[in-house]
Amino acid sequence: MTTQVRTRATNSHPQPAATNDYRRGYSRRARRSDLFVMMLWASGAAAAALFLASGGAAQFGSIAETLTSIGIITGLVGTDFILVMLVLAARIPLIDRTIGHDRAIAVHRSLGKPALYLLLAHGVMLLVGYGLSSGINPIAEIGPMLALPDMPLAFIGLGLLIAVVVTSVVAVRRHFSYEGWHLVHLLSYVSVAFALPHQLSVGGVLADGTVQRIYWIALYVLALGSIITFRFAEPLVSSLRHRLRVAAVTEIAPGVTTIQLDGHALRGLGASGGQFFIWRFWTPQTWWHSHPISLSAMPTESTARITIRELGAGSARLSAVPVGTRVSIEGPYGLFSEAARTSPKLAIIAAGIGVTPVRALLEHAAFAPGEATVLLRASTPEETYHWDEIRAIAEAKGAACYSMIGHRPRRGDSWMAASDVARGVTLETAFPDLADSDVYLCGPTAWLDLVEAEVRATGVRPEQIHAERFDW
Amino acid sequence: MRTRAILGSILASASVLIVGYQAGTAVTTSNGSSISLPIGGTTAGSSGSGSSTSAAAPAATGPSDGTYTGASVNTRFGAVQVQVTIAGGSISKLDALHLTNADGRSVQISNYAAPILRSEVLNSQSTRVSNVGGATYTTQAYLTSVQSALDQAGA
Repeated sequence: MTTQVRTRATNSHPQPAATNDYRRGYSRRARRSDLFVMMLWASGAAAAALFLASGGAAQFGSIAETLTSIGIITGLVGTDFILVMLVLAARIPLIDRTIGHDRAIAVHRSLGKPALYLLLAHGVMLLVGYGLSSGINPIAEIGPMLALPDMPLAFIGLGLLIAVVVTSVVAVRRHFSYEGWHLVHLLSYVSVAFALPHQLSVGGVLADGTVQRIYWIALYVLALGSIITFRFAEPLVSSLRHRLRVAAVTEIAPGVTTIQLDGHALRGLGASGGQFFIWRFWTPQTWWHSHPISLSAMPTESTARITIRELGAGSARLSAVPVGTRVSIEGPYGLFSEAARTSPKLAIIAAGIGVTPVRALLEHAAFAPGEATVLLRASTPEETYHWDEIRAIAEAKGAACYSMIGHRPRRGDSWMAASDVARGVTLETAFPDLADSDVYLCGPTAWLDLVEAEVRATGVRPEQIHAERFDW
Repeated sequence: MRTRAILGSILASASVLIVGYQAGTAVTTSNGSSISLPIGGTTAGSSGSGSSTSAAAPAATGPSDGTYTGASVNTRFGAVQVQVTIAGGSISKLDALHLTNADGRSVQISNYAAPILRSEVLNSQSTRVSNVGGATYTTQAYLTSVQSALDQAGA
């Protein structure tokens, strides 16, 4: 089975690309990424500028007016951030190809609190501003404010947004199951919907019938349209087209299972080795839970394979799904693939269940014999999942493959096995060409942080490092 | 690359803001003139109401008795139009035919400002009354409309 998969994939390989192509590809991605950053900030500025342009600039005469105007601007910029967050969470292919799913979500997260603070400031400043202009205190102003049409909905929307952001703060999120958190997170759609009417009726900002109105409608259409297209429509069409079903479930080590899938036209998925899909297994016990899991082998036209380790209750149930179960997918996602290459050589370090995307990456990657080095890391001999397959691929494609089994040393912050540290093994001895390599790292967060810090310390440029952390 | 993104963002945001502010101040100037002079919406105004009797008393020095409909003055929050009744040579009644109502907040402001403006105009028997805080647009448009009605009355 494995041999067949490999042979087919090898045939479809791109020829080893010249370094120039990698460099050019990278600078194109970097340009696009910078452009996205500029668009993010410019969209916030545009929200404020359009308000100023359509008469807002005159609204700074008195303290009450100034507070009201600033309150309106914070509301507009906050709303802009929320819509940008929706765009970032929509898994738009162009964004995924440019910065990768992980970074898109990281930016999405980093905007959450600023957006909430801006919208809270919006509420407070308008209460104070309105209160000052009618000569009552801000608390008393809540009454007249709620009397305005659509304002009660807007208050509820803000309340929902507070719930969404608070449950996403790391310390709080830890107390929730993924599903519980996700359910609360879905309320952000309701929050956006509840806030919309008051923007149309109270502010009068969107009802002006000007550029401002066009801008905001375009932004809403972009945000909600990309969510509907790429989170719902595209996955549905893809799932129906590829008709994936479970073909075999095999336990390859205690708690580690491979799931073999059958489907149609799977090459059409356009998946690269190292990418992941979000999987949903349609059994009564598992349908409500989706799992981001990397391919552990390149798909053929009719088969695909994933390998999972029981980390949570959800993935434990996956190892018991019956053969024939329908599977729906979203993806492929991620830049942990050939698409992120910048350099001629490859250095791959993977630990534990982190070997799965690396297994597919090595199979798919373009390199000449002698240009790739793989280091496989495990604490115990039981955790050497798929190592035999990786060794076979490395041998067939001319990559060096090292393995390192054993616990980390008690002292210091080495990510290597204690015995190898004692022998004098270092990052440089294992990877002499690190400076000319793309470094792919995959494994548990705590371990990976150590590896990444050491790789960075050697002076490797940030864009050469591609890391995927295994925990949710 | 980070530097390029940061500099580009600052440049893009700053220029967008400056353009917005410049456009805004340009709009303000034209708005300001539309408030002092009812150029925006004189279509409905200046047509004296049917009950006007001003033509009957051309010799009178003070305002003629009757009911006069002021000009409809447009603001960015909606039009304002006031009907003035003159009895015994003085302003006896003010009816707001239309008030700023572009959005919910404007309606609230109008409801709060109109009674204050009416009593101040009745007290002072002129349009020389102070601005109602938080209702600058409504105040200016209201007084402009009243003044145009008084002009018709020959005050």
